[in-house]
Amino acid sequence: MALFGDLNIVNTTDKRKLKNVIETAAHLGYSTVAINHVVNLQEKKQEIGKPTCVAELFTSPPTVQGKSKPIKIITRLTVVVSEASHCNELRTTSPRTRLYDLVAVHPKTEKLFHTACMTLDVDIIEIIMTEKQQFHFKRPPVNVAIDRGIVFELVYSPAIKDSTMRRYTISNSLSLMNIGKGKNIIISSGAEKPLELRGPYDIANLGLLFGLSEGDAKAAISTNCRKALLHGETRKTAQGVVHTMKKTEVPEDKEEAPASKRARTDDP
Amino acid sequence: MYSNLEKTPRHLLVCEKSNFKNEKSRHGIHVENHYFNYRVSVLIPECGALPAGLSTIGSSFGKYYLVKNLPVYEIVEQQFLDLCVKKGSFYALSYNTRIDQDNSAALIPAGKLILSVDKDTYEELGLEGQQSQYSHKAVMRHIITIDLTDASFAPGTKKYKRVIWALKEKKPLACDFLMAWHPSGEGDFSLSSYFAKYQCKEHTPSVSTKILRDIPSPVISGGELKGKPEESCDSQEFLDWLGAASADIDCNNEASSFLSTYCCPEPSVVMGQACLWTVTGFLLPEKIYMLLEQLRHYFDEPKLAHWTTLTVHGFADSPVSWGVAEHGFHKGGENLYNFVIFRNHDYWLQMAVGTQDGCPP
Repeated sequence: MALFGDLNIVNTTDKRKLKNVIETAAHLGYSTVAINHVVNLQEKKQEIGKPTCVAELFTSPPTVQGKSKPIKIITRLTVVVSEASHCNELRTTSPRTRLYDLVAVHPKTEKLFHTACMTLDVDIIEIIMTEKQQFHFKRPPVNVAIDRGIVFELVYSPAIKDSTMRRYTISNSLSLMNIGKGKNIIISSGAEKPLELRGPYDIANLGLLFGLSEGDAKAAISTNCRKALLHGETRKTAQGVVHTMKKTEVPEDKEEAPASKRARTDDP
Repeated sequence: MYSNLEKTPRHLLVCEKSNFKNEKSRHGIHVENHYFNYRVSVLIPECGALPAGLSTIGSSFGKYYLVKNLPVYEIVEQQFLDLCVKKGSFYALSYNTRIDQDNSAALIPAGKLILSVDKDTYEELGLEGQQSQYSHKAVMRHIITIDLTDASFAPGTKKYKRVIWALKEKKPLACDFLMAWHPSGEGDFSLSSYFAKYQCKEHTPSVSTKILRDIPSPVISGGELKGKPEESCDSQEFLDWLGAASADIDCNNEASSFLSTYCCPEPSVVMGQACLWTVTGFLLPEKIYMLLEQLRHYFDEPKLAHWTTLTVHGFADSPVSWGVAEHGFHKGGENLYNFVIFRNHDYWLQMAVGTQDGCPP
């Protein structure tokens, strides 16, 4: 199996709180966490800003419990879409989404869910947990999304906060499981406070309640997270084979250019 | 939908009984083949003070070393093999690595190096290995076994050069190692001086003694492994009770206890006192065998107790359990064995493993 990851830790402006949450995640045994910047385009004057700088957050990231390596922190963007015009930001050529390691979409209607599975350039599709799913999942778009390498995300912190949300979480997850057969599912916390995090083996057990098998549940927090991370990395490359790196400018180049000009003018 | 909720992850328990004086008894082989031992505990009923023989063995358990950030090629190099591995039993296990998440390494005294690596490392390393038996849908783990004592692994051969190149230049693997050495003859090799350039720290196993008072204990008889109703208890029930007693859980079935409603299996008798002695560290099978022999002779003098137990726990994150059988960690990584020793040199041997483990031998 791969390293455990929690790909949804909600970003807050309070840096100390965020640091506490990440330290708790490292203590629980997660090797990778993603700081999630949520943007709801329905509200006015909401723009996709720049991600928080990870290096500013920790001078030396906390070590994962039971291992000798520090925790890996990456950035993630979630766009909550409720109209078709909001999807413009999620095209491949959008400049702002390039700054984030992972891009996720949270579709609110059936048509947008269909668009997200088929065409949008995202890594994660978040499933609504806080209200009853208005539409049923259909097999064709879910299968297309699985083929494209997109993962579906189930968030469990609403279930910790409220018992009504717990019912919605389980019913929405079960309906997804019926269609998708447990493939490409990740379970993440969506935690705003350290108390809303749970350990990886506990989440693997929670996956059993959602209808996953033993192996699938453990994969939901390890292998499939790795899949999403690699999908995010390949978004910046050409088909996942070639990637470009910015080369530092070499000062000698400037001297050569005038020399060649001189050579041309020397010819009578 | 919920049919898989009714099943718990599988675990195996093998119980066998025999007599120490029986020539075909395989107790020695079982102890010898369980290479990496973390904790040994002995429970002696009706005993108020630790017997002298046990405390001498406890102090002679031998040192082990923790070397930080040691590159794996260092224990594969010919110089080290000649000085150490071929002249005794050398045990090494990677420390602070999780078997279901990171790369782990182990060196067993048969001279085999076992590397349990994840997908990316396997593809970058370039050494031949097998897929893990406990892969789910996608293969995420591979096991590479290198026989260091093989004739084809002499220095200068293609195989040796490839392994050293892979571990030194292609993908340098380094981790913290716990190691211990049991010399087979006269040897003045010191691990701490050989690995002086890495942070090498010496440790001794920690010993603790506890006296338990007024605890109910099940009645068992050496000849009846399955127990007789009204007369003696089943070996599985006995192992459950032993776990509860060692962990200091009340077996009274009190309604007010939130922790446990476990109660001692019937028929039972109340023990006035019992001695629970525990050693924790990186323990060698050779010393455990000596301890087992000492316990056999506990009944040479008449004692109140009818039985004693010796329980050995293995490391949860080791790549192997018994011999070269692969060991994995699903929700738990237990691999332990328990001897119940009776007055007439009869014994019960119970071996238990968790989900991702082969059946014990």
